[in-house]
Amino acid sequence: MIITCDRVVDLAPGFVLGALDAGEMDAVREHMSTCSKSHPELREMGGILPYLGASLEPVEPPRHLRAAVMAAALEDLRSRMPAAPVQTAPQASPSPTVLEPAQAAPVVSLARVRAARSRRVVTWLTRVAAAAVIVSLGGYAVAVQADLNSAHKSQDAIKVYDDAVGQRGARSAVLAPEIGQRGAGNAVLLQSGHVVVYLSGLAPTTGDQVYMVWSSADGGPITKDGWITVDDQGSNSLQIDNVSAVDSLWLMVCLEPNRNVTAPTGAIIVTGIIWVYPPASPTS
Amino acid sequence: MRQVAAGEIGGLETLYDRYHAVAYALALRITTETGLAEDVVQDSFLGLWRNATRYAEDKGSVKGWLLAIVRHRAIDSTRRRRNGVAIGDETDELLPAALTLPDIWPEVAGRLDAQQIRTALAKLPAAQRDAIELAYYDGLTQREIATRTDAPLGTVKSRMRLGLSSLRRELMGIGDGQGPA
Repeated sequence: MIITCDRVVDLAPGFVLGALDAGEMDAVREHMSTCSKSHPELREMGGILPYLGASLEPVEPPRHLRAAVMAAALEDLRSRMPAAPVQTAPQASPSPTVLEPAQAAPVVSLARVRAARSRRVVTWLTRVAAAAVIVSLGGYAVAVQADLNSAHKSQDAIKVYDDAVGQRGARSAVLAPEIGQRGAGNAVLLQSGHVVVYLSGLAPTTGDQVYMVWSSADGGPITKDGWITVDDQGSNSLQIDNVSAVDSLWLMVCLEPNRNVTAPTGAIIVTGIIWVYPPASPTS
Repeated sequence: MRQVAAGEIGGLETLYDRYHAVAYALALRITTETGLAEDVVQDSFLGLWRNATRYAEDKGSVKGWLLAIVRHRAIDSTRRRRNGVAIGDETDELLPAALTLPDIWPEVAGRLDAQQIRTALAKLPAAQRDAIELAYYDGLTQREIATRTDAPLGTVKSRMRLGLSSLRRELMGIGDGQGPA
């Protein structure tokens, strides 16, 4: 539909409010894409809209929403980092993960974002629900120990985790492997602020390689929490001290070339989230 | 916003801490459902995070851009819920082109608080205010508003035009009268 400048003026209020029929909306857009005039009426009326939104009395959302937003952003950030293939030999040149501006925020399909987020929410819910069910049955420690015992040989490492997960008020999470990666883990956050991470099924570290644990409490900055090496049995545990998380603790384990890295640079092996404050309504 | 565009979580935290309550208020007003509103706010901040490089300072304030995203997604989510369509099928279009138009009076608007804007809205004749709010908050077209209010389509168009023009004049008058922010 071809329309004149006068017609655009006529349609301006409905256009800025998105209240025209689809054909009229398209016609205005088409006109504006070719018209040499500036059509100030669109700017004048369109400029009001943000203040309509801002006229509402602010409403504080549930506090878990902040953590959920930041966790989703971190997950998105993580998804942009290169995932190296499983290696048993030292990495000659670990993949850098410093984000170039163009790489940092690509134009992507929001449908894909929503799908990924929905999957994450489902995954988190599944984990939280699984943990809740186990706790309610009163067999949490036994179940975890049985599972771990059957899967791994490093009894010392298991015992460290097992002792932690049986404590009152402990919150745990499964650390799930990234696609194409070898390994798995569990993590438990204690009321004392200690976090015990148990990792298993990992490829042995060689040379200066370490499995580094990175975390983000409540969607905050990513911090470097500690590292482990593993032998042929592929398992080990790690304790992190002084963790303060109100809503959630996001954990990521990367295979780093050495213990001195200050930001995640290596392949992401496993990730998971410990929910401290269960979402009231983590919608899909 | 540059921090967000560079992939720095700290920048997103700053924006969230600054605008989460007004974003949630708008999402809640449109969706009328807390769960859906949370979903919209999370999606909106994530959309802002992932598309920050598309933001241009000459297209208006970050707050305005965010609220436009929230409104667009809230209306879209509400329509999908109403029509029984699963959320997740949308295109990557973030917001209607019109809503990214430059804000030509940021100096004035920057002095306004929510109460003053509400006061200006309250001064509009009820029919004009209703026409604007039905379009802005409920996502109705002019034709749908005409049906809902039992008014001729031309009348609805006139009310919308007069309402927006009056509101703009009123807001600019308030802003001008306050001196530097």
